[in-house]
Amino acid sequence: MPDRFPGYDVLSKRWTPSWNQKTREVINRRLALTNEPRYLTAEEFALVTVIAARIVPQPGHRPPVPVAALIDHQLDRDQGDGYRHAGMPPLQEAWRQGLRALNAEAQAAHEAPFDQLRTADQDALLTQMQEGKLKDAAWGGMSSATFFKQRLAHDIVHAYYAHPTAWNEIGWGGPASPRGYVRMDANERDPWEAAEVKDGDVEAARRKNRHVG
Amino acid sequence: MSDDPLLSPRAKAGRAPDVFAPGGWIPMHAYREDEAVDFVIVGTGAGGGTLACKLAEAGFSVVAMDAGPYFRPLEDFASDESEQTKLYWTDDRIVDGENPLQMGSNNSGKAVGGSTVHFAMVSLRFRPEWFRSRTLLGYGADWPLDWREMWRYYAKVEQALKIAGPVTYPWGPPRPRYPYRAHEMNAAALALARGCEAMGIGWTETPLATLSAPRGRAHPCVYRGFCTTGCSTNAKQSALVTWIPRAIAAGAEIRDLAMVGRVEVNDAGRATGVHYHREGGWRFQKARNVVVAGYAIETPRLLLNSATSRFPDGLANSSGLVGKNLMAQSNQAVWGISKDEIRSYKGPPSLAITEHWNYDDNKDFFGGYSYMSQGPLPQLWANTQMSARGLWGDSLMAEMERYNHVVGLKIVGEMLPQESNRVTLADAKDQYGLPIARITYSWSENDRALIDHSLRFMARALEAIDAREIWTQDDDTCHLNGTARMGGDPRTSVVDADCRSWDIRNLWICDGSVFPTVGGVNPSLTIQAIACRTGDRIKALAALGDL
Amino acid sequence: MRTAIDKTMQNQLVAIAAQLDVLEKGLSQHFPRREPTVRAARRLNGASGILSMSVLADSGIEHYRGSFENKAMFTPLVMSALSLAVSAHGTADSRPDAHRIRDAVYAAAALTGVVGTGFHVYNVLKRPGRLSWQNLFYGAPLGAPMAILLSGLLGVYSERLRDDRGASPTVFGLPAGRTLAALTGAGLLGTAGEAGLLHFRGAYHNPFMYAPVTIPPVAAGLLGAAAAGFSGRTRWLTRWWLRLTALLGFAGAGFHAYGVSRNMGGWRNWRQTVLNGPPLPAPPSFTGLALAGLAALGLLEDHTDA
Repeated sequence: MPDRFPGYDVLSKRWTPSWNQKTREVINRRLALTNEPRYLTAEEFALVTVIAARIVPQPGHRPPVPVAALIDHQLDRDQGDGYRHAGMPPLQEAWRQGLRALNAEAQAAHEAPFDQLRTADQDALLTQMQEGKLKDAAWGGMSSATFFKQRLAHDIVHAYYAHPTAWNEIGWGGPASPRGYVRMDANERDPWEAAEVKDGDVEAARRKNRHVG
Repeated sequence: MSDDPLLSPRAKAGRAPDVFAPGGWIPMHAYREDEAVDFVIVGTGAGGGTLACKLAEAGFSVVAMDAGPYFRPLEDFASDESEQTKLYWTDDRIVDGENPLQMGSNNSGKAVGGSTVHFAMVSLRFRPEWFRSRTLLGYGADWPLDWREMWRYYAKVEQALKIAGPVTYPWGPPRPRYPYRAHEMNAAALALARGCEAMGIGWTETPLATLSAPRGRAHPCVYRGFCTTGCSTNAKQSALVTWIPRAIAAGAEIRDLAMVGRVEVNDAGRATGVHYHREGGWRFQKARNVVVAGYAIETPRLLLNSATSRFPDGLANSSGLVGKNLMAQSNQAVWGISKDEIRSYKGPPSLAITEHWNYDDNKDFFGGYSYMSQGPLPQLWANTQMSARGLWGDSLMAEMERYNHVVGLKIVGEMLPQESNRVTLADAKDQYGLPIARITYSWSENDRALIDHSLRFMARALEAIDAREIWTQDDDTCHLNGTARMGGDPRTSVVDADCRSWDIRNLWICDGSVFPTVGGVNPSLTIQAIACRTGDRIKALAALGDL
Repeated sequence: MRTAIDKTMQNQLVAIAAQLDVLEKGLSQHFPRREPTVRAARRLNGASGILSMSVLADSGIEHYRGSFENKAMFTPLVMSALSLAVSAHGTADSRPDAHRIRDAVYAAAALTGVVGTGFHVYNVLKRPGRLSWQNLFYGAPLGAPMAILLSGLLGVYSERLRDDRGASPTVFGLPAGRTLAALTGAGLLGTAGEAGLLHFRGAYHNPFMYAPVTIPPVAAGLLGAAAAGFSGRTRWLTRWWLRLTALLGFAGAGFHAYGVSRNMGGWRNWRQTVLNGPPLPAPPSFTGLALAGLAALGLLEDHTDA
């Protein structure tokens, strides 16, 4: 996919009034996360990495988002959402059980663990999970559809869009305090916002994005 | 000692955080646990925070407890969705029913100031007829309150929060001018306005509890758009920066990170205080009156968890209605893509509103709805695409790239009270060893009819402004009310018009739980109006020697 | 803190008052041999210049906020800059004749004000809600282009005054002093109206916000009385009230600077707060108009039948 916001980097605003101290601390901590599991086992961590690549496939030209590390961090802190559907175990247990069940399904269907399947087969299994069609005993009392929507894809999507790389891709203004925004009407852009490619003029957008700060 | 407000309490030893100054403190009265205070209040949100202020200003001794931390927004709030989940009630709860509620974020707060710390600031009045919906409109239940009295209290709350609203409000009986002027509308709000004009219905700027001009030490809104993840500038007039500083100045004590697990009741059937967990252990605060203000889940949970041999079904529950008639509000949306850059992340999410379908009775269902412009932040938006639309993989990534062009309309719709929608206790326990809440919810036929009507209408409004690829998000709900309804008859209600429980006369409930119906508007202004009225009533009852 | 600010502001006001006095006396003493009419004309050039300066800064900031989306948005900047330049020239020029370039620039500036008002009205009317409070508050400000119109008119007026050779100065056949007093009075009222609208938007959260909606209208009333020929005995009051109004323009800029600092992030966040806070260059419009009013008063004093 061609870059819609060429050269835009939300991190270029890190030392401007758009970021307060608390935000810098929080984002710095997030960016400093290493790609090593703390809660998950190495195998589970690798599996999450493979699944995340299907749920949120990353374009190659931006710094990668360490989705598995972010999930692992969430699990390590046991940071739940404040609710779970009847039949769903708590956060950590749900992830462990769901990953086990997915591998069991992969074995049953293709006689190989999930991360060794062709991507088309991986996608097919994930689609079946989303539709609640996976019923292996390994799921326990958990509905595969609920696991997909409330846990697996939910947590992966949240992890991905917690990262500045993802913010750059979608042209979001990012952190904004104390400086917020001035120009509110349609097609109005503050000089510290992302510029989108218009009428195919990539260079014009890139020029504007270089001055974001 | 840690300065992390999530780990150790800040409000203690005669001082509380100054929310207007990084690292600042204000003096605070400290009450002894073994001497009964006039009122102990459980919860410091729209209900409890407001009532703490009114009671303290009336001269009562007040201790108000909150399970959550005491933040200083200027130093503690990041511009970040993930980080700010620290404002939410994320303790475990179980949801079931045909339409399980989504909890934890938009409808639950755990902080001093409660959900008002992350609410969308939409400050609307009930339509007068809703206070007698059973008699006048044929559904729900009548309130034991007169709308004219409530409108007087609305005006007081609007003044106390310096609500920024339109110069004239298009619906309902005349109301006084809002204290501050409306905010500038963003592109998303202008899209709503254009859609309404195309459909031939009225619209206006949403009355919001965020400043459009300076006030005291609070700055006007900078349109940063993180309202529902906490306002780091104090423009938002939450209980944390309005009622609570006033309450402390008037002599109230706030205790943060204080989880109340049980209301103690003596043999005479009177409440004597609360057991609460703070700094690693269980403690007891004696009180002459107990006010439960934990919102529609934690309030019934506490009453049920406080059961004794004398009250085996929980406190204040002789009617059997504690926990029943839980009402969310429908929060469905219609989304589309505009050829224009909308960038709805700028400014408060709901800058424009139409209440047309709250005031027009020409429809085939009971109740009403308002709809507002929207401004979802990236995580919320991506998850909406995944969960409501089923997108993931390349289709999700492609859709997210058009984030800046998204335009949407979202309702706050009335759901009817049903006894089968309820809060009960589950077997699982939380970190304090207390049984957690099980929340059962299913939509009624009327709820579905209202939602269908709204989605059809809003889709046409979006089409009328040339939005493309319109789709509907039909799974969302917001706000929680009911579960301890007020009424005029002890057999069919939990509390009377003064929020005083029928069964235990020194036990009060003051939050959204007392709503017999929810209407088609956000509830926070009504909760605060009820709290102000309750404060005045308690003062009057005390003068009569009737406490 | 608050009282310290008030104190500083008070001292500044006194200092500015003293400077205004010097300026006024300087202008009249520097060319004592010249005709009083030319003196009045030059004071009008000065008044027009101050208005132009206010327009230059205000339209610069506001149209920058509007990202100069329409190239026509540069026009008021160019015109007010030119108007400022010819006003400086005019203020220093004691020749009793009109200057063609000055004249042309002033006329074009006035025309810019008329056209600009048209643009602003169009902008407001195309927004949903049309002439609603929302659009009056946040759409293109309808009253703003009037400032450059007034600046142009005062300039044109100044040039006509220089052209005048009669015993009692007239402009377009009307008695110069009275007409100018009426024009200035109307300008003050309009500008007070604009301030009133925007201060209403700010909910008059600071009591000083009532100053620009009370002091200038009184000045306008006194000028109106002078225009009608009623004011012989109260002329000292009119003079002092106009000086007070002139001071208000400077003080207002100071208050607005304080207002900017009251926004989140203060001056450190100037790229937002200068745009979203109260407009710094707007209040000096009052100074420009008050100086024009003083010129009118001067004309009336020198020629009782003017």
